[in-house]
Amino acid sequence: MPLNRKIAIIDLTTGDIDVKPIPLAVRKQYLGGRGLDAYLLYNHTEKGCDPLGPDNALIISGGLLTATCASATARTHIMAKSPLTGLLGSANMGGFFAPEMAWAGFHHLVIKGKADKPVYLFIHNGSIEIRDAAHLWGKTTTDTQWAIRAELGDEEIKSCVIGPAGENLVRYANVMTGIKNSAGRTGMGCVMGSKNLKAVAVRGTMDINIARPAEALEYNKQFIDQITSAKVNQTQGTLGTPFIWGATNSWGGLRTRNFQYNQCEYADDIEPERLDDIATETIGPHHMTGCFGCQVHCRAQYKIPSGQYAGKYDEGPEYTSQGAFGAMPDCRSAVTVLTGNHLVDQYGVDNLEIGSIIAWAMELFELGILTTEQTDGLELRFGNDEALLEMVHRICTRKGWLGDTLADGGIPAAEKIGNNAFDYLIQVKGMNNLHSDERATPALALNVATASRGSDHLRSRPAIDLYHLPEPVLRKIYSSPIPYEGPLSSEHTDYEGKPWQVFWQENCYMAVDCLGICKYHTVFLGATLPNFEDWPKVIYYNTGLELTPEQIWEIAERSNMVERLFNLREGLSRDDLKKGDMLNHRYFDEPCLRGAPGVVGRTIDREKFSKMIDEFYAHKGLDKNGVPKPATLKRLGLKNEPSHLL
Amino acid sequence: MTEETNLQSTAESLRSTRTYGKFRCHNPSCMGRLQPQAGDKQVKCPECGMEFRVHWIRPDFPRIRGPVWDVNRKLAEEALAKKGGA
Repeated sequence: MPLNRKIAIIDLTTGDIDVKPIPLAVRKQYLGGRGLDAYLLYNHTEKGCDPLGPDNALIISGGLLTATCASATARTHIMAKSPLTGLLGSANMGGFFAPEMAWAGFHHLVIKGKADKPVYLFIHNGSIEIRDAAHLWGKTTTDTQWAIRAELGDEEIKSCVIGPAGENLVRYANVMTGIKNSAGRTGMGCVMGSKNLKAVAVRGTMDINIARPAEALEYNKQFIDQITSAKVNQTQGTLGTPFIWGATNSWGGLRTRNFQYNQCEYADDIEPERLDDIATETIGPHHMTGCFGCQVHCRAQYKIPSGQYAGKYDEGPEYTSQGAFGAMPDCRSAVTVLTGNHLVDQYGVDNLEIGSIIAWAMELFELGILTTEQTDGLELRFGNDEALLEMVHRICTRKGWLGDTLADGGIPAAEKIGNNAFDYLIQVKGMNNLHSDERATPALALNVATASRGSDHLRSRPAIDLYHLPEPVLRKIYSSPIPYEGPLSSEHTDYEGKPWQVFWQENCYMAVDCLGICKYHTVFLGATLPNFEDWPKVIYYNTGLELTPEQIWEIAERSNMVERLFNLREGLSRDDLKKGDMLNHRYFDEPCLRGAPGVVGRTIDREKFSKMIDEFYAHKGLDKNGVPKPATLKRLGLKNEPSHLL
Repeated sequence: MTEETNLQSTAESLRSTRTYGKFRCHNPSCMGRLQPQAGDKQVKCPECGMEFRVHWIRPDFPRIRGPVWDVNRKLAEEALAKKGGA
């Protein structure tokens, strides 16, 4: 049964490994995945612990439904205190790792301490071994994975690994599996590097007994049909996530030149259709592939067509790489986007963070805040493709003053650079934004301001707010499973009703992260995709656990509140520009200059934004300062946290 | 859970609202439905005047590739001037 998968608590300092069952009572409170990880992090770390010290806990997990007959349960979640933000660190990736870990008997790993030399973990059918990794240190992410397979003589081994960026403690280094699947945000690879942990390798052949296999398979057929018939997923299956560019760059929601413009004009060479042409030319017509158990197949395979890295194979690029190596640095070459994507995959670093921080440095250079002395002679200007890629190398290897400075993340870098560099840094809670521009979309602005892991689009974004859906359709979606009779607006520039949408999406995304499902299988980019009402049957048929939609909502709400408690413990404060639910002043002061007629001239209204925060806090059961009210903690069963049940 | 019903979930019921062969204008304040003729490479929204380049995922499945830059830049500049912007 999926409910029988275990948790292992591993101390790399002592070598102690403690394997335990996960009590059913805990499952019913958090399900698994990100929700249970939040509980574990809150319980296994002390206030103020050093993110790069042995006391930080690195947690790796699959969801409750991972590797079952449910669709698209490929997600691996990784959590720790973030070395980038000093707050909650959380990152999620597709691929095949978490299902293999479930077949090896485990749903959650809590890794503490620090090894005295490079090591990797090998987990195989219930056993866990700490192995020497000296020979792997220095290798790229893919070379590491292939070397582990060769060493252990099994091509089916799946590993999550760090690359040179994680070894060099770049504070936004990621954890990777496969060619391009990245647990990218908040520097989880940096935490792995600080523990001298190069990789976690898994191989499992232990059966997961499905509670009601016939019903599970039959119901999943309906699920698959619902998912694959959606236009948004058919488009993704052809163009991958870059398809989003067609919409955002049409209406003016694309952060360009750091934050100077909201549209990347005349950039036809990096449009998804052009990237698709290159994949077709270099791989063939059937170049789309997918993660475990998924029918959408949103991941392209490609080879770089020309330039220094011509012929190198990679996968993607995701929409995020179009922004990181296209819009934000204003480089409009497909080869640059594909090369940048390849470099971050090999080094193991967050594409969003590195692209964003280089674009920020470009603006500082053009303003004269950074000098050629500080860039070691590099003309770090917008549109300089060579300088962009050179900075990727320098940051990942901490080469030169600027490479080393930017490797520490935006806020420490701003403090080191001085002048008013911080004013130009587009971040929330210390993490840079996606290349989206939310000045014309108050709902999305509220989302990035309040997301638990820092500025982020995958924690609470009501993306369908841009679809101008009729109010009755919005009400149908957002009034279930919890009744909601307040305002809802089809207009994306409105402020009314948006806090509820963000609150609903926050719980929706948490639920899928607890289950281990991909967000493209729920109400993220498509309004007609499964959500709370559809999950009870999937859960019951696969695990035997009986839950109502309302109970799933409450589990998600509880899990989000534990993340909030963690952040508050580590210094979250409502209006703090560095550690709060607050946006850079440019959102309020600088109007959009491009895009659709209704978008140009837009800024976020500071007073209305503050009221949205008040309303969002009220929905969550927080006081005006963003602290949970005693009644909220009581309702969610959190009065006695940390409870140390696991 | 043992009690089975034939009621559709929200997601299932909204499925009937999907339209194929059409797309929505990418002006988020307009979102009018546009239906290009087979093979069309550009389309103009009759509601708001924005123009878009069209990509065909399949012969029966169009999508917006991006704006017709010169047209939409002009519309943006006119709108910005009306709002007293730069």
